Amino acid sequence: MTHEHARFVFKGTFQPASFVEFAQHRAERLGLDLQFGQASMEAVALNVSGATELVDAFEMACSLGPFDCFVLDVVRHDVDLAA
Amino acid sequence: MNPENCWHPLGLSHSIEAGSSAGTRLLDRELVVWRDNSGVAHVWEDRCPHRGMKLSFGFVRGDHIACLYHGWQYNSGGHCQYIPAHPALDVPKTIKVPLYPAHERNGMVWTALSENPPSVPDGDEPVVPLRSLYLGCGVEAAVAALNACRLVPFASQTPADTTVSRLSDTLFALSCAQDRLLVGIQAISNTRTALHLSIVGSVERYNGAGQSHFDGWALQWRQALETQAANARLDQDVT
Repeated sequence: MTHEHARFVFKGTFQPASFVEFAQHRAERLGLDLQFGQASMEAVALNVSGATELVDAFEMACSLGPFDCFVLDVVRHDVDLAA
Repeated sequence: MNPENCWHPLGLSHSIEAGSSAGTRLLDRELVVWRDNSGVAHVWEDRCPHRGMKLSFGFVRGDHIACLYHGWQYNSGGHCQYIPAHPALDVPKTIKVPLYPAHERNGMVWTALSENPPSVPDGDEPVVPLRSLYLGCGVEAAVAALNACRLVPFASQTPADTTVSRLSDTLFALSCAQDRLLVGIQAISNTRTALHLSIVGSVERYNGAGQSHFDGWALQWRQALETQAANARLDQDVT
């Protein structure tokens, strides 16, 4: 099991509060650390860290998103904290 | 009755065999009742935290239940302990199924929806399981029908007075001559109620012929209730 820190930008059409609540719930369920960046009607940026498999699961869950948001693209950067 | 603060029967104990699971509903909540291989009954929310599949469709193996969909395995504490797609993953404790308390008494599996429910309805007498009846009405109508029912005693098989007593919010007793039936009331929804019936007494006395006698009575009673309800609907349609 490997630990990973990833930065995501979800792009699409958002109700920011709804997406933030959704992402928070999924991160809590998966036991991931989550920090939000900027959130707008067009994009939401956030950082997560935890087991790689669970970060992947988080990405999948958020790419579906809540019913009132529409994710069109996901940009993911794996962050090397040691660098 | 505050339904959030009392014990509810979910079925007859003998209907959930070791190593099996069954889905049910209580006050519109979906629940799974499952019994592990050592015989302990569990009552959980009937929903896998992964993709929402009903856990009642899953498989019981030893002391855990596995979801049918992706095989996520949950231990008896409700924690996911193994994800087949990621066998090396140390699964976080946060992946957990909500649990409800489970007790077995009077030949029935009981649960409560609040964290601090009162004590489970009394009952340490031996019982013989009878059957569960499902009625197309709410709890109030089911209780009214129960209060009006008349048992035929097993020993004499001639009509005798029936006494209906309420032992708790969700448990009634029907007494007639030497016989006594316990009736647990499960509020499935506003329009659906399950009655779980067991006979108070020894297996030697009631197993076989005694069960058949009261089983026949229960089916006739349900049929009478259904006919009554159908006639009432017809009357309503006419007027």
